Amino acid sequence: MRRRSLLLAGLLAPASALAQAPGATVMAAASLTDALRELGQAWAAKGHSAPRFVFAASSALARQVEQGAPADIFMSADEPWADYLQERNLLLPGTRVSPLGNRLVLIAPADQPGDVVLAPGVDLLARLGPTGRIATGDPASVPVGKYAQAALTKLGVWDRVQPRLARAENVRAALLLVERGEAPLGIVYATDAAASPGVRVVGTFPEDSHPPITYPFAILARSDRPEVRALFAFLTGPEAVPVYRRLGFSVRP
Amino acid sequence: MFAWLTPDEWEAVRLSLRVAGLSVLCGLPLAVLAALAIARGRFPGRALLDAAVHLPLVLPPVVVGWGLLMLLGVRGPVGALLQDWFGVRLVFTTGGAALATGVMAFPLMVRAVRLSLEGVDTKLEAAARTLGAGRLDRFLTVTLPLMAPGILSGAVVAFAAGLGEFGAVITFASSIPGQTQTLPLAIYAATQVPGGETTAAKLSLVSFTLAILGLLLSDLVGRRMLRLLGR
Repeated sequence: MRRRSLLLAGLLAPASALAQAPGATVMAAASLTDALRELGQAWAAKGHSAPRFVFAASSALARQVEQGAPADIFMSADEPWADYLQERNLLLPGTRVSPLGNRLVLIAPADQPGDVVLAPGVDLLARLGPTGRIATGDPASVPVGKYAQAALTKLGVWDRVQPRLARAENVRAALLLVERGEAPLGIVYATDAAASPGVRVVGTFPEDSHPPITYPFAILARSDRPEVRALFAFLTGPEAVPVYRRLGFSVRP
Repeated sequence: MFAWLTPDEWEAVRLSLRVAGLSVLCGLPLAVLAALAIARGRFPGRALLDAAVHLPLVLPPVVVGWGLLMLLGVRGPVGALLQDWFGVRLVFTTGGAALATGVMAFPLMVRAVRLSLEGVDTKLEAAARTLGAGRLDRFLTVTLPLMAPGILSGAVVAFAAGLGEFGAVITFASSIPGQTQTLPLAIYAATQVPGGETTAAKLSLVSFTLAILGLLLSDLVGRRMLRLLGR
């Protein structure tokens, strides 16, 4: 009799570990990696379950959510991918906000001198040499690539630059290529350039050359739970603002 | 049938075949040397060599690709030498894609060669030695022909596996249409674009067909050659 009750107690013991709800899953654009890691730690330090982060290109994340990936919060680097999910009724109505902004910059490895003025007709090919490539996200799907295509088109140089692109999976992969000197130039967000000591900004794209870079945040339709709403309020609230600002994002008042 | 794929899609298929072919062509001689050293060598560090050869089989492909980038990129120790002495750059090139594919398929080739080596009757080699054949002569005229079915069938399997390599290629060589965007990379790019499902499905079907053909061919080659050797 005693052995059986001990066995029962042993089998039920792991159940107590489930008493604390597991953290929410946040699928976020790669450019938010540093900001969200820091905010996630701050959230856990307050005594909540640490959130799980999945960082990738917004395109990859949106496609995964569409296929049923179990995420609770979605943070995209452009409005079209949030629209994509909203059209499919995958976002919780009334939760979508776009609190952050960013700038598009041209970068080069940190030890390469010389700046570039990003004016119409700018000759980027001169800087690349015969075989060099410009690293950025894939313009067909990755937000930073789409912004890059818009900006280069507005400056009138897209047709010449397009065959010289190195299409990376996400903005951080493009950053790595420039850091390692594989690509003499790259087009990434200002916040990514600031986060990496191996690259330097050689030019900033005029704000009117591309759609404004904004980050829509939303809770996913299937995830209306108190702990998710609390985390979302934290990530979009006043306590998070100093972290975003310090890393170079512009924050809407 | 040929109008079924667009020119760009055919480009990805042709590039895949080229990359996989190049990787096996360059990797096979090295695999034979490695298998010989591991199976018959007696030197300190032999077990380490065996483990090192099998690393790409157990490491995540992205890690292998990242390692290659650190080593063979223009800022890496070997890559800097390659660029300074030979003007050779590997990232963003078909050669780089072939290298990444070859590294991932290398353990498969070594295992197949080693298996065929262990199947060689050493008494035949000993008989050749008593008849006066030197080491190289014995290897080329007795051992290698007896290993041939295993080597060839292993090469075909490595070729078929190379057609499907993704993680190492996209991390090391990037995804450049016409240069490094092989079939798996093209399928991935298609899945990222809304409405790209048809392209992804078409290319996946081609990939599946090539893989099945490769495995069947490997089996056929192995059996034909064994029959040729009278077994």
